[in-house]
Amino acid sequence: MASPSEAPVSASGTSVPQVSYRDAPPLITPVFEVGGLSVFYGDHEAVRDVNMTIGGRQITAMIGPSGCGKSTVIRCFNRMNDLIPTARVAGKIRYHDEDLYGRDVDPIEVRRRIGMVFQKPNPFPKSIYDNIAYGPRVGGFKGDLDDLVEETLTHAALWDEVKDKLKTSALALSGGQQQRLCIARTIAVKPEVILMDEPCSALDPIATAKIEDLMEHLAQEFTIVVVTHNMQQAARVSHRTAFFTTDVGAEGERHGRLIEYDETARIFSNPSDQRTEDYITGRVG
Amino acid sequence: MTSTGIGRRAASGTTGFLKRSQPRYVEKAVRVLLIAASLVSVLTTVGIVIALIPPAAEFFGKVSFGDFITGTDWSPLFKPPHFGVLPLVTGTLMVTLIALLVAVPLGLGAAVYLSEYARPGVRTFFKPILEVLAGIPTVVYGFFALQAITPLLQDIWPGGEGPQVFNALSAGFVMGIMIIPTIASLSEDAMNAVPNDLRDGGFALGSSRMQVATRVVFPAALSGIAAAIMLGVSRAIGETMIVAVAAGGRPNLSFNPLEGMQTMTAFIAAAGIGDLPTGSIGYQTIFAVGALLFVMTLVMNLVSIRLVRKYRQVYE
Amino acid sequence: MDNHALGKGPDADILEARRLKGDGSPWRERFFQLSLWASLAVGVVFLGSLLTYVVVEAWPRLDLRIVTNFPDIIDPSQAGAQSAIMGTIWVIAFTALYCLPVGFLTAIYLEEYAEPDRWWNRAVEINIQNLAAVPSIVYGILGLGIISRGLGFGQTVLTASLTLSLLVLPTVIIAAREAIRAVPQSIREASLALGATQWQTIWRQVLPAAVPGMATGSILALSRAIGEAAPLLLLGGLTFITFNPTGPDSPFTVLPIQIFNWISQSRAEFVSLAAAAIVILLVILLAMNSLAIWLRNRYSHRW
Repeated sequence: MASPSEAPVSASGTSVPQVSYRDAPPLITPVFEVGGLSVFYGDHEAVRDVNMTIGGRQITAMIGPSGCGKSTVIRCFNRMNDLIPTARVAGKIRYHDEDLYGRDVDPIEVRRRIGMVFQKPNPFPKSIYDNIAYGPRVGGFKGDLDDLVEETLTHAALWDEVKDKLKTSALALSGGQQQRLCIARTIAVKPEVILMDEPCSALDPIATAKIEDLMEHLAQEFTIVVVTHNMQQAARVSHRTAFFTTDVGAEGERHGRLIEYDETARIFSNPSDQRTEDYITGRVG
Repeated sequence: MTSTGIGRRAASGTTGFLKRSQPRYVEKAVRVLLIAASLVSVLTTVGIVIALIPPAAEFFGKVSFGDFITGTDWSPLFKPPHFGVLPLVTGTLMVTLIALLVAVPLGLGAAVYLSEYARPGVRTFFKPILEVLAGIPTVVYGFFALQAITPLLQDIWPGGEGPQVFNALSAGFVMGIMIIPTIASLSEDAMNAVPNDLRDGGFALGSSRMQVATRVVFPAALSGIAAAIMLGVSRAIGETMIVAVAAGGRPNLSFNPLEGMQTMTAFIAAAGIGDLPTGSIGYQTIFAVGALLFVMTLVMNLVSIRLVRKYRQVYE
Repeated sequence: MDNHALGKGPDADILEARRLKGDGSPWRERFFQLSLWASLAVGVVFLGSLLTYVVVEAWPRLDLRIVTNFPDIIDPSQAGAQSAIMGTIWVIAFTALYCLPVGFLTAIYLEEYAEPDRWWNRAVEINIQNLAAVPSIVYGILGLGIISRGLGFGQTVLTASLTLSLLVLPTVIIAAREAIRAVPQSIREASLALGATQWQTIWRQVLPAAVPGMATGSILALSRAIGEAAPLLLLGGLTFITFNPTGPDSPFTVLPIQIFNWISQSRAEFVSLAAAAIVILLVILLAMNSLAIWLRNRYSHRW
């Protein structure tokens, strides 16, 4: 399972503890094929010319300094950028050979297949049960909701913690539990892909570890794309890693760029781009 | 939701699986409904204009606009009638002026205190009181002016003839109190929008609290304060019940605040009570004076809205 | 001011002392603060004396007659305000019926659907801000010219409530928008990311969270309508009415107008009567405001 590799050396010269990277499954069944993707906010080109292929049933991490456009890119994958009136997308994102931004594509259908978990846990101010049941309800679910809720919570390793308080407010849960509830809520809709936008940035290390375990577990059935500012997290959980950074143009304008995208083991042990190496060894932040 | 198991494979291979087979009718219907509701407020403005223009136009078919706007005698229901609106305009301006003399210093003083001095506890005491002042029906203000303020003024008036039973002074004074919340709360908003960096800059240069308030915060919030005062003026010009009760019903081209005088609004109310027949010149005067009132307040409101947008753009 | 530790000469001492005191004399500083405080105190004193005066004036007539009897011009001792109280209830109920749905829907449109850059949306917004400041008597003219005579609804409860609906509509819209805006964006994103449509998101998440704030704002807006007299003067509200409304097509009077009517009478008994009716009006308003505040505190969300 794990392939031992050289430990990266940080800027101060101290060795980062040995990490065991996960083998990346081959990209036989691409889920997303991104070609020449640029995202504009008004006249500003926030992200320029991203090209990458994201494989199914594995975890793809997006890392890079803040402002590099990684969150902007992940929000294109389920058309959350539609909510920003000034946002405009150029280039192509194909999802199973279907153009995500095609003319007749219904963003609602897209989001039922491609769910999203956000930076800050954002449970609805309702009961735990209603949080899980919300997605199926709005999707017109006709089966037994109780079963679905139990199945989902069990799947998200949350059932034992909450089974006695399903009717209590989700806001009473701890931050880590709230975030796992948000993940559970997402899989209750039975999507194929789960996008996670810095899902652990508001959590303590113990809660983070639980989420990482959950991600690994879910990757057996779901395709997960995770944006993180935590390099160790990317190294620990992901199969492939995309490194983004900010390019400063001729007139001082800043664009997010995809610098390097490869198997995680390679990105962290033997990156091909100097900027990637500088970033992962902590020379630039 | 037909697949079993948690993970659901997208229907790859079949194109068009992201499209919706039938349009979302509910979403479309809701959008139409919402837009229709939003049009009601637009139609209100249109309705006001439509209500005002035809009768006012008929009125100005009979009375020249020049006579109307420069005439000094307003007696539309007498024989022969006179249609000089100046007495109503000066009555309105007199009462408004008195109201502003009360409301501007007190309203701004209250705003500076609440924004720059008051501790949270003091705020939670004074803010609701201002809200209550704003919530008291204006007919109650009028009652208080006529029954309590005017007799009080008559009692304490030093020599000479005191205020008449109906007078502009009492009406203007209570109207000023009524407008304090408008001016105070909008000015306070504007002062709160001034960034603390500016205050810190002032304090760092050794300024006192008063100097920061008057020389830093006040000028920085000036457009918002101007907007608040404009809105106060608009409210004073448009206020009806206080003047109908306390300022009297006699058109009076006078600048003596101790005398009774009729405002534009009080005239409209008095004429409206009369249930005049549609098409009569008396009925049409309501709309002619109403149009003048509407235009005056419209200008004030638009200037005020403009000023508010300006300070919001600067600081937000 | 015992900052002598640095051991400077006398000049330095004076300089130091002056710096710590500030340029403006503390006396001026005090006076300034006192006058600011006095500005607020004037309002408090005014409010206190107004309420006291009204209650004292009303005292002889503060009994059940004011609620059970009908207006009486001949014998003020037998007069009451029942038709005005019932008229107020009828008119406000219909006003709420008309203006709340329209106001809420407009607020939802402006907050959740309208793109703020579009000129027509900006125009709608400026229009609402202006309407909020249009004098109430102008709405009376609208009611008189268009609703009462133009549409032929006459001097009825229907005309009065339609007119008052338009009058408070901007206030309802502005309050409802604030309540909707207070719902965090993260809730909308969560719902949409689960495949909910925009309306499902609004109906199932945004509105339930915004309803307490919308209710509070609406009650305050309606209490403004309850105290409003000027527009109704043009719509036949001053007619002498000694019976309760029986439907939207009834003639009507309302409390503020009844008060105005009694103030205009010359006999002193009517002053007490007016004061008593004012007390009733203020009690109704107080009850509504308390309800609004209770709603705000009871159902306010912490996010």
